[in-house]
Amino acid sequence: MRAVTATQAAALVPGTRVFRVGRGPESPSACRKESRLRSESPERASTSEGAQQDDYVAQAAGGDVRAFEHLYRTHLPKVHSLVRRMAGGRDTDELTQDVFVRVWQKLGSFRGDSAFGTWLHRLAVNVVIERFRQETTRRQRLHDGEEIFETLSAPLRQQHFSMDFEAALMSLPDGARQIFVLHDVEGYKHHEIGTLLDISSGTSKAQLHRARMMLRKFLK
Amino acid sequence: MTTETMGTEDSFTDRLSDYLDDEMSAAERAEIETHLAGCGDCRATLAELRAVVARASLLSDDAPSTDLWSGVEERIAPSRSVLPFVSARRRFTFTLPQLVAAGLALMLSSGALVWVATMRDSRVSPPIVATTQTPPSSATEPAAPETDEPRATRVSFADVRYDEAISDLEKTLDEGRNRLDPETVRVLEANLLAIDQAIDQCRKALRNDPSNVYLNNHFVEQRNRKLALLRRATALTMEAGS
Repeated sequence: MRAVTATQAAALVPGTRVFRVGRGPESPSACRKESRLRSESPERASTSEGAQQDDYVAQAAGGDVRAFEHLYRTHLPKVHSLVRRMAGGRDTDELTQDVFVRVWQKLGSFRGDSAFGTWLHRLAVNVVIERFRQETTRRQRLHDGEEIFETLSAPLRQQHFSMDFEAALMSLPDGARQIFVLHDVEGYKHHEIGTLLDISSGTSKAQLHRARMMLRKFLK
Repeated sequence: MTTETMGTEDSFTDRLSDYLDDEMSAAERAEIETHLAGCGDCRATLAELRAVVARASLLSDDAPSTDLWSGVEERIAPSRSVLPFVSARRRFTFTLPQLVAAGLALMLSSGALVWVATMRDSRVSPPIVATTQTPPSSATEPAAPETDEPRATRVSFADVRYDEAISDLEKTLDEGRNRLDPETVRVLEANLLAIDQAIDQCRKALRNDPSNVYLNNHFVEQRNRKLALLRRATALTMEAGS
């Protein structure tokens, strides 16, 4: 059985929120750092809980299904919400299960170099991105040129100004929504998003701005 | 507002997110701030963008309304201990390669044996060792006396006990097939069809050459295979239902 270290204490966790209320010209970088440290991932709520989770990770890597269930239940809300937002509410339960099955299969490759939550959330993002790539390829093959319907339906969706913010998020185009979720909800940086989605940082910035500009209408 | 002015406004608006995220140089920041000081629209837009970012940070994480663990557990459990004929959904199944291989082997051997048997001259066939007129006590255990000659069994087409056994098993399988994996049922039916076709081939060939030792043996073998397959499948349906 491989050893799982408990050396995640100092790492900043991309899978955590960045509280940026009031942020802007005042002190953005300081605010970001403070917010990340304030918003800990589940395994860092306390040292003892973190150590316990390390034990669960080690046991699960050794084939202990019950230990894996503990990890599942600890991270389920976060992963499910991440998947739901990334996938736009489509196949959320199935994708969430895919994520945890993938985690189980990949536990042997987790070396403890980063926090387990960080590793897990990155894996969840990858599962969703993979699905979208497959879907995009399939759609392009079967329904070439169907994007016109997306364009036509967009103005109609924007008329629901009173829509719940989550629902508004779901109505964004896939690319803009995923980048918004990764950056503004999950705290990833543009260069990390670029790597994940295989796009440039500039594209990531442009899509993020596009998403924010669309979402601001729902907050009026 | 002129087109040129609108273009300038857009260029500032498009950079507001970068400004908000501190993704620009000091010189660019200074330029934006100068513009903001004199542009109420851009200040309003910046405030809205800031509200969006703030709202995003307040999104809560919710667990799904239904428990997903059972689905996860079913999918990960087989990877730890693979049991034959046991699928992930607690449905019992043959492994597909096993059944496909069996089906292919069955079809090939059946066709080849019938062809070989029918091509043989019955006059040079080894003498048939006929069974008694009563059917064997069990279709799986055909009676054949010990002899140095090739063993052969001439079976009656009207084997009442065998037919009853097959009928009972088919009925039981039919009642329990919904407990088997659909893919298993599909392959199972394909194999049963192949066996039935082999039996039918033998039956037709035996009408022309009833003493052919190969045909008789092959006929018994195929019927026994069918019986064995049905017994195994019905046992699995009962096991799955327990």
